[in-house]
Amino acid sequence: MSRIGVFICHCGENISRTVDVERVAQEIGRLPGVSFSTDYKYMCSDPGQNLLKNAIKEQKLTHVVVAACSPRMHEKTFRKAVEAAGLNPFLCEMANIREHCSWVHENREEATVKAIDIVGMMVERVKKNRVLPTITVPVTKRSLVIGGGIAGIQAALDIADCGHEVILVEREPSIGGHMAQLSETFPTLDCSQCIMTPKMVDVANHPKIKLYTYSEIERVEGYIGNFQVTIKKKARSVDEDKCTGCGVCITKCPQKKIPNKFDCNIGLRSAIYVPFPQAVPNTPVIDRDNCTKFKTGKCGVCQKVCGPGAVDFEQQDTLIVEAVGAIVVATGFDLYTIDEKPKGSPIKGYGEFGHGKIPDVIDGMTFERLASASGPTGGKILRPSDGKEPKQIVFIQCIGSRAREKGISYCSKVCCMYTAKHTMLYHHKVHDGQAYVFFMDARTPGKSYDEFWRRSIEEEEAVYIRGMVSRLYQKGDKVVVMGSDIAVGVQVEIEADMVVLATAIQPQKGADSLAQKLGISYDKYNFYSEAHAKLRPVECATAGIYLAGACQGPKDIPETVSQASAAAAKVMTLFSKDQLEREPIVARVREFGCVGCFACKKVCAYGAVEEKEIRDRQGNLVKTVAFVNPGVCAGCGTCQATCPSKCVELDGYTDEQVIAMIEAL
Amino acid sequence: MHPEKQKHTFEPKIIAFVCTWCTYAGADLAGTSRMQYPSNVRVLKFPCTGRIDPVFILKAFQQGADGVLVSGCHPGDCHYIAGNFHARRRFAVFRKLLEFVGVDLNRLQFSWVSAAEGGKWVEVVTDLTEKVRSMGPMTEFKELALEEQWSGTIDTPELQEAYNAI
Amino acid sequence: MTSLIDTTIYSAITEAIRVEAARILSEGEVTAVVGYAAARRKGSAQPIVINTAADAGQLIFTPSCVNNLAVYLTKAKKEISKTGKIGIVVKGCDLKALVGLMGESQLKREDMYLIGVPCIGVLASTVQPATGLTAETIAPKCTECDAHLPQGCDFVPAQTPVVTKLEHKYAAEIARLEALTPAERWAYWKEQFTKCIKCYACRQVCPFCFCEQCLCDRNKPQMVDTTPRPAGNAAWHIVRAMHLAGRCAGCAECERVCPMDIPLNLLNRKMAMELKELYDYEAGFDVLDKGPLTMFTDKDDQSFIK
Repeated sequence: MSRIGVFICHCGENISRTVDVERVAQEIGRLPGVSFSTDYKYMCSDPGQNLLKNAIKEQKLTHVVVAACSPRMHEKTFRKAVEAAGLNPFLCEMANIREHCSWVHENREEATVKAIDIVGMMVERVKKNRVLPTITVPVTKRSLVIGGGIAGIQAALDIADCGHEVILVEREPSIGGHMAQLSETFPTLDCSQCIMTPKMVDVANHPKIKLYTYSEIERVEGYIGNFQVTIKKKARSVDEDKCTGCGVCITKCPQKKIPNKFDCNIGLRSAIYVPFPQAVPNTPVIDRDNCTKFKTGKCGVCQKVCGPGAVDFEQQDTLIVEAVGAIVVATGFDLYTIDEKPKGSPIKGYGEFGHGKIPDVIDGMTFERLASASGPTGGKILRPSDGKEPKQIVFIQCIGSRAREKGISYCSKVCCMYTAKHTMLYHHKVHDGQAYVFFMDARTPGKSYDEFWRRSIEEEEAVYIRGMVSRLYQKGDKVVVMGSDIAVGVQVEIEADMVVLATAIQPQKGADSLAQKLGISYDKYNFYSEAHAKLRPVECATAGIYLAGACQGPKDIPETVSQASAAAAKVMTLFSKDQLEREPIVARVREFGCVGCFACKKVCAYGAVEEKEIRDRQGNLVKTVAFVNPGVCAGCGTCQATCPSKCVELDGYTDEQVIAMIEAL
Repeated sequence: MHPEKQKHTFEPKIIAFVCTWCTYAGADLAGTSRMQYPSNVRVLKFPCTGRIDPVFILKAFQQGADGVLVSGCHPGDCHYIAGNFHARRRFAVFRKLLEFVGVDLNRLQFSWVSAAEGGKWVEVVTDLTEKVRSMGPMTEFKELALEEQWSGTIDTPELQEAYNAI
Repeated sequence: MTSLIDTTIYSAITEAIRVEAARILSEGEVTAVVGYAAARRKGSAQPIVINTAADAGQLIFTPSCVNNLAVYLTKAKKEISKTGKIGIVVKGCDLKALVGLMGESQLKREDMYLIGVPCIGVLASTVQPATGLTAETIAPKCTECDAHLPQGCDFVPAQTPVVTKLEHKYAAEIARLEALTPAERWAYWKEQFTKCIKCYACRQVCPFCFCEQCLCDRNKPQMVDTTPRPAGNAAWHIVRAMHLAGRCAGCAECERVCPMDIPLNLLNRKMAMELKELYDYEAGFDVLDKGPLTMFTDKDDQSFIK
């Protein structure tokens, strides 16, 4: 038999003014199971809490109901007090007779009757409360960072600087990502390489960072604090331990006419290559699709010239398993494919703008490579078709972005700023040239951003035309741009030497399949979804996985770095304890009755429900049932309401407790 | 200042199933703002509307509730990502079922009340209470509970014959 | 009396089923075949499980083959499916149940050899087995059938069912009930539910009532009154309809086996209609990862929410 103690708080006069607390205490005292019922001026005060603690000891109470304010206010206070007196904190419930009763009703009789009902309901509920031990989950204090762009680099450095090991995985042969491709950065125009490469070197030299380049995530298992990640290290054909990075192989490679992806295919590279001179690691990789040795079996020059004997044509892809406790996803972005129409994608492309057909129509990233001092033209703005300096250049904004009819409705956020930057870079390099910009709106929120944009017009003489371009066509060696200036209401025709399209930002190709491996959700564009748009912008709904950078949505560099550091801070919060402690309000499966229909798994937004095989002693499969991982479960209880046989129960909100409350009314 | 409250002959019993993050907090806000509403409602707190089982609504009616309110976070505000979306489908279907078996849906109210909508909580509770009050007591389930067996009439010749033979 | 519905293809189908069953059993492709055989009363049929090719001659298909055999693969005869791959004779409506069961991880496609039956219709539960099939004697579910020719089976006899267009009996009855006032509907269902004797035949026969522990049998807490009194009966049938919503594909076995003739499938059909209207969902056509009540979209109807 339970010995329930009920404590009715006056809350000064806040409750007792409208509720006859003495009558409530008396009536509740008559309920079966209630062995102690009293009222007190301030239950949350020290004397009030002592009254509670003493009563638990003296009256040998088994359960406690405190009728006072909202549990959102003082549930923690009273559960702590109950724990201090030696009872499990989850054997204490609060009845809200202030916010839900005394403060909202004036009639003393009505309020008192309601208060009796509320307290009585909680008495019935608390009878069904069970002892719930705090859940602890061990935490492996190593983290995985996926993506070696600025987001991944920043997150990795921050975590590693706190003394925790980081596994950084990058798909390309070098870390650096898109930021390494940029020439200068807005709004300060400092050279991207100058600020980026030191960070890349820091990563390479950091004792706590284990770098896997030219590698991809194969499989992710486990849950917060305890992930097992399988990484596929693609065959580089060069032994990273032996290679000294001297670069002789690259200079001697006879196959030198391969378009370099890093230079947006306007520069050329050899078959054994590093994507760019400052690459980290500075270990070359053989592009097996274009290598003569791999295509014909003849050649092998690189192997012959390699002093340390690092070139290894026999190298195979290898799988490495790493145990980590947290994962930061920083896979970044890709540019909108202007001319291609990817299969099955709603993206329509911009065939009408001639990108891919007219050589002097390029995208923004290609312009970055042209403007970059380390780019294929050595920083000279030269057009791809004939290498002449363009004297009239047209920039077109919002290619793909904010174009619902083209399949993307969002704003890519950075294009207004980078186009303004492009006009400046152009003006700095081609003093007698003229830049025109077709734009819908200029969106320049951000510190010093609008000033920067204005400077491009006021000081750097860019001509901004508000309106859209309807058509582009080649005329001799010119590209004719036909558009409208809606501010003046006239048609505009410009004979340009070069056209730069400010293409939209999209998630990386394969973002969806990575998300499926990680068990995180993504939107219809494949941007990864944060757990809460406002209050949990760096966390995924799946516990232990965090987001950084443009994989979550278009972002500029400062925002990306901020989010990366925020993600690192979240990882460090997780790593600050040896064991993850959490409230035991989680779902549990009664395996005996579970028939394995997995409706619970289907509705779980957190991926907390797993399939578990039950085998007899001989190892024969008896049945497959659901299993709720207490480390992942967030305690919403949607599974229980969905389970037809109620074989999954949410501790703290069991059917027994709910039905007891309904029956009490 | 306090006008004399109108005396009613029938005080309906209203049971509210609410989620803790939005509607319960909204009801708390109504309290801290000292708003006034009828005292008929009894609130049951759940972590999420996703936890609220249709059986609870049935049980509430069987236990003598005259009106039932289910309230949670607005779409997109769910503390648990999607619990309210699942609840929305579940209850959209369940209310159709109840309607089909003859429950007057005016007695069953669903609402989204956020933690900031103390005023909306007051409005929803007041409206439901007054609506149910004007409808009178929910007698269907209570009468059913009082019946011991089939009250049907023997309306087929076969049954009549069998009955006569007893 | 309306004219007979032509079911002459059933004899050719019977022959085809026998040949196929004999083949898959003798070739060892399956360890057993679940089908129909003649029962004792003239013209009646009953489920049978055969294990040897020699028994294949017992298999039949007639308008009396009313049972949904899906239930023999899950709960009714759990031991048969353990022996290996099982052949099963399925009508279009039965196949829908199998599709649903696959979606709910209760069956695996690779464990079954599906012998689909081109079906014109079967007899209603209220008529004698040897009766001819007419617009009056046909089972109500067959009037609304949209799966006369089962899709995606391993074997389907070559016969094409020629279907007579009949009045949709459930749709008509649902429309009639919907036109009533809530009080009148309550009176109707009260009358129906109070007849219930809680024999749970509807639960036993339903392929989707596969829970090992039924919510309605629970006593700690007692979610639903378990006694065969009107209140408990109503609760049982409401909970049952809710649990089947989005899953039931309308084999109407519940209604067929009900000794008190409660029109149980009406509730199921009504739910199916609502799901079709709300979420454009129809059960039983594709093996889906998620059913309509285990998924959502952010644009779902919420006109009923204040």
